[in-house]
Parts: sequence; structure tokens; C-alpha cells
Amino acid sequence: MEALSNQILVVVTFAYLAASVLYLCHWVLKADLFGWTASVVTWVGLAALTASIVLRWLASYQLGFGHAPFSNLFESLVFFAWTLALIYLIIELVTKLKIIGVFAVPLAFLALLYALSLDPAIKPLLPALKSNWLIAHVITCFLGYAGFGVSAALSLMYLVTGQHRQASSPRALLLDDLIYQTVVVGFILLTAGIVTGSIWANSAWGTYWSWDPKEVWSLITWLVYAALLHSRFMRGWQGKRIAIFSLVGFGCVLFTYFGVNLLLSGLHSYATGKG
Amino acid sequence: MSKGSQSSSIGEGIWNFFSSVKLSFSLLLILALTSIAGTLIPQKEAPAAYVRGFGEAGWRLIQALGLNDMYHAAWFRLILAALAVNLVICSLNRLPTTLKLLRRDPQEDLASMRKPRERFTLPGAPQDNLAAAEKALAKVGRVHQGQAPEGTVLLAQKGGWSRLGVYVVHLSVLIILAGALAGNFFGFAGSVNIEQGQTVDHIILDNRQPKRLDFALRLNKFTVSYYPSGMPSEYRSDVTFLKNGQPVKQASLIVNDPAEFQGIDFYQATYGESLNLKVSYQKGDLTREVVLSNQRWRELPDGTFAAVADFRKSIKMGDKYSGPFARIVYQDKQGDTQSFNAFKPGAGMPSAGPVSFAVLGSSSVPYSGLQVKYDPGVWFIWVGCTLMVIGFFIAFYFAHRKVWVRLSPTEQGRTRVELAGGTNKNRPGLTRLLTRLGADLRGQEQQAE
Ligand code: HEM
Repeated sequence: MEALSNQILVVVTFAYLAASVLYLCHWVLKADLFGWTASVVTWVGLAALTASIVLRWLASYQLGFGHAPFSNLFESLVFFAWTLALIYLIIELVTKLKIIGVFAVPLAFLALLYALSLDPAIKPLLPALKSNWLIAHVITCFLGYAGFGVSAALSLMYLVTGQHRQASSPRALLLDDLIYQTVVVGFILLTAGIVTGSIWANSAWGTYWSWDPKEVWSLITWLVYAALLHSRFMRGWQGKRIAIFSLVGFGCVLFTYFGVNLLLSGLHSYATGKG
Repeated sequence: MSKGSQSSSIGEGIWNFFSSVKLSFSLLLILALTSIAGTLIPQKEAPAAYVRGFGEAGWRLIQALGLNDMYHAAWFRLILAALAVNLVICSLNRLPTTLKLLRRDPQEDLASMRKPRERFTLPGAPQDNLAAAEKALAKVGRVHQGQAPEGTVLLAQKGGWSRLGVYVVHLSVLIILAGALAGNFFGFAGSVNIEQGQTVDHIILDNRQPKRLDFALRLNKFTVSYYPSGMPSEYRSDVTFLKNGQPVKQASLIVNDPAEFQGIDFYQATYGESLNLKVSYQKGDLTREVVLSNQRWRELPDGTFAAVADFRKSIKMGDKYSGPFARIVYQDKQGDTQSFNAFKPGAGMPSAGPVSFAVLGSSSVPYSGLQVKYDPGVWFIWVGCTLMVIGFFIAFYFAHRKVWVRLSPTEQGRTRVELAGGTNKNRPGLTRLLTRLGADLRGQEQQAE
């Protein structure tokens, strides 16, 4: 079951690479067949990813220590790709804009590719990780990250396709509104993610906030998006500025998620004598 | 007199400065930017570690700016305080306007109809269509009616209360900050190690000061369970809380499931083996058997102290020695510490010095390490967080909408219907609402015909 789950992941990874290329072809060649195929592949990929996650879940019970598959970097990356695909596909359904896929689906592909480079073994949970709050924390954070990810994809597309040069066209306005709406979704979920994380930390370690680099970076991300919302509300920032702001925010998300582990621990190492 | 007005204009200046949203925008970004520093520079390390990493001058700079404990530095707290003041003043500034908007007399709104977005005619005179229009509009909210030069105007509105969502969010930020402050000022945090079977009534605070509790805590049993792979799956401390020596409450502490007594929370944090090492202690003519521990200083018969730093049940040194070995730290009456090697009596190579130790026997008991916390602010935090999420939903997903319907007679004896709307956000949503209402009214016409 575990093996099947992992095999499905490999297939979906390639499928999302293919879907990315198809979306690109659709955009460049303006041929509907490509767009249609891309959507079908992405939907099927989403269904397969769902199956893979469920299988992994079941497999962990078979191994005798069942737990929800949201407990380490590998599992969270897979879930991140899943939420990205889901949120993107919903937006595609609502807006009929396949061009967003050129930017959103590659993100899901990269997340899966990174996951494939990690150890996929299902391991039992350390005592500190046995908490429903932790599951809620991972799910809300990653839904939030995916919201921000789709927003960033929309922003990139807004800038690359030069929407800001015709900022009051219906399409530019629609995109601008979508960038804002996805940031709002992300912001609410990130807030919920930070809150559930604090509740977990409080029950595990007796402190809801300890200023560790990961926490601080999630706070930085939160502050940046809070500033974005205020800029829009009070200064009427729109279009290009919001698109750039959203990209900066997503940069913070990526740093919170990857940078903190990869870079900051390196900076810490002099203190422990490793560096 | 002139002095008074000057100071009031300074007050006004300060007020205006703190009521600006530009300031809050800047403060949010400043907080984000400065917070980065504390993630690049390790926090709360020993000075030597900073000197090694950043050089002597770098360390002096870090120390001067408080960057080694940045999030508790005065300047960082000052930015947080400025944000709080900003929030309070901004809200105080705007709340009266918002409330006035909510309590506004409908007659005023009736007179200020927006530009119509939908326009069509219905058969019959305006009075004949009035009831139908009222009925359609009642789906939005309570219907008010007024007379304008052109004809009859109806108004309904909904979601006015959603304008308060932003205040809920901002209040929640203040509640969270207040909770953090309360925890800082009135709470404490520390830890305690308890050997199985032992009872303690004091803990060690994080600043290393002991703190006496007004109850006691006994560790009845400590257990570790394992997965088949050998990885630990659960640490569990079964404890009894005692008040005046009487057991009052039993609890099982496991990671992620703390126990509370008199408002103080106990968390499973660490565990280990506490060693009881029987040694003979010799100083001049005095020789005694004493029991030393690796957990705490034990007082020796002459008022000095000793503890076990390291212990091996059995070591081998070529064929000269095989048997137990211990390293013992010893503190004399002047408070100077020194360490000694100890072996089985009369063998090995005991350290020379004013005193000597020999290992007679050992036994061990499991101990459990608990984190202890008292935080009267934590409920503010949870209330604040809940309010914040609720406030977000109100602020982002509800809008204050007003819909006007004007019915006026046409020259052909029909009724001209005009629909207009106003909202504080989500214009597309308003447009859909107006379209639906229009369709409603025209649909009734089709049924009537
Ligand atoms: C850390 C904190 C803060 C958070 C999470 C926050 C959150 C929000 C949110 C969610 C909105 C609604 C935005 C929208 O509907 O698009 C908002 C609006 C607003 N915020 Fe904040 N805010 C914070 C701090 C501040 C501060 C310090 C001020 C001080 C002046 C402020 C002033 C405003 C104003 C004036 C509005 C617009 C209200 C209106 O007219 O409806 N915010 N804020």
C-alpha cells in the first residue's frame, strides 16, 4: 500500500510536469485542445494525489501506529501540492482562465519534485507530535500557503502578461480582485495556522510563543500580508503594486517553509561548534 | 492661554500621528523587517558564542542594540506599544463615525438615492406595484418608504453590523497583546525534576531561582512505552498533588496532555535515571558512608557538598583495574569546586587531595522532568485569537448593502422601476443582487400577464 502510494506520487509528478507544459502550449499557441487536456490531466492528477494520501494514511494503520499523513516535510509537501492543485482548479472553474495554470501548476510540480527527493518512509510519531492540534495546524497552514501560492501565480501572470498597462480592463480588474481574494483566504488560514500551532506548542511545551526562527518567520509573513491588506484598504493600492506585494509575501512563505530549515540552522551552527 | 492652545495642538498632532493608517502600515512592515534580525542572530547565547561568531566589535554592537535577546529589547517592545496605541487611537477616531452611520435615519438615506443601475417599466400605476416591490425588497431587509419629487422610493439595507468586523479584529490584537503582557508580569515558568516516589514542593524558575509552591507534588510512577521499532511512543508520569500533606488530585501527565493544579500547569518535558551512589568519604581521620546523586548537591557530614558528575558501573584499565568508576564534584566551605576520581575501595588511581572518595555501590531510580508554568494571560490569548478569526470573516465576507427602488409613473400610465445600490465592499456581489431583484420584479410581471 505504501509502495503503491509512492508510485502514484511519481506518476502524478510527471503528470504535473506534462500539465505545466500543456498549459504553456495553450497560452503560447492559443489552442483549446491543449488547455482542455491540461485541465483534464490536472484533475486526474488531483484525484490520484488524493488516493495516494489516503493510501499512505491507511498504510500507517497497517504498520500499527496509524496517524494522519501530515507529520513531516515529505508529507506536508505532498499536501501542499494537493491544496495548490485544488485551489487552482476551483479558480479555473470559476473564472475559466486557464492561463493561471501556466504559473500555478508548475508550483505543484516543484513541490512534488522536492518531495520525491526526500525519504518517503512512514515513521511512527514522536510523543510530542501526537496531537490533533498539530494536524489542524499543518492543514490550515498548508491551505493558507496554497492560497498565497495561487495568489502569487496570479500576480506573476498579471505582471508577465502586462495587465497593469490596461489596469481598468475587465480582465485586469478580475485578476486584481482574485489576487486580493486569494490573499484574504490565505491570510485567514495562516492566522488559523499560527493559532492552532500556538495551541499545540502550549500543550506540548507549556508556551504558546517562544520566538523561535520558524515562528518569527510565520509572524513576518503574517505582518507582510496584513500590511498588504491595509495598503489596499487605505491607500487604494491595486494592480501592479498588489501583485508585487503578493509576490514578496509568497517569498516570505517560501522562506518560512524552506529557508528557515536550510539556511538559519546553518547560521546557528557556529554556536554548536559545527561551523 | 496661548500656552494652553499650543499644548492642545501638540496633543492634536500626536493624536493625528497615531490615528493614521499610514503609520500602522509602516509599523507592520517595520515589525516584519526588524524581526528578521532576531532570526539571523542566534538569541540568548553565551557572550563567548557571539564573540566567536561576530568578533569583539560585533558583539559590542549586538549587546548595545540588545540583539542577543531582541524580542525582549526595549526598542522592540516600543514598536509593539506604538502599534497598540495606533490601534486604540485609530479605532477611537473612527468608531463614532461608524456608529453614526449605523444609526442613520432611513429618511436621510431615502433622500440620497444612488445612480440607478437597473431600469424597466411594469404595467399599472406605481401604487399597484408598490406591494410587489416591497415584497421583493423585504428579502434584503426591513423596507422603508419615502416620497421624492419623481415618485415613491423604497429602501432596504443589510449587513450594517459587518462594519464592526474591523473593530473586532483590531480589538482582538489588543486583547492578545494584553494577554502576553499579563503573562509576562504576573506569570512564571520553571521546571522540576522528581524522582519516582519522591515528593517536591518547590520548582526552579527559568532564572535559576527556587520557588516554593503552596502545595506538593509526588511522582508515583514514571513509564516509557515504545513502538516495536524501539522508538519511544509515550512518556507518562503518574502524579499526586498534595495539599497540607493530604492527597487532593491524581493526574497522568503525558506529552501534549498537561495537568493543572491551582492554576499552575505541569508538562511532561524530560526524563532520566537518577543515580544513588553509595561512596565512602574520607577527610583526614573522618570516614563516612554517604549517598550522592547526579541530580543535586548532597551535604556531607562536615558541611561541604558533593555530587556525581559521571558514573560507569564497570571500566577496564589494562589489567591494573576493573570495576566501577565515578567522577565526583566537591564543593568546600569556601565554595570552591574541585573534582575527584573514585574507584572501588583500595584500588584504581583515586585523585590525591584533601578528601577522597571510593565507590561502594550504586542504585538508580527513574526521574521525570516537568515544565511548570503559571500564565494568567493565556485565556486572553485564546479569546483574542478566536475573536480575530471571527472578525476576519465578518470583515471580509459580509458587506453593508443598501438597495433603493424608485417607482414613478410614465406617460403611458405604466410604472418606471429604478433600482440602485450602495455597498462598502464587493461591488460584483451588489450588482448580482440588483440583477436578481430586477428579475424578481419583472418575473412577477410575466406571471401577472
Ligand atoms: C496587527 C495588526 C492588525 C491586523 C491583523 C489588522 C487587520 C485588519 C483587517 C483584516 C482589516 C480589514 C481589511 C479589509 O477589509 O480589506 C483592517 C482594516 C483597517 N485597519 Fe487594521 N489591522 C491591524 C492593525 C491596524 C492598526 C495598528 C491600525 C491603526 C490605525 C489599523 C487600522 C485599520 C483601518 C483604519 C482599517 C480600515 C477600517 C475601515 O474603514 O473599514 N489596523 N485591519
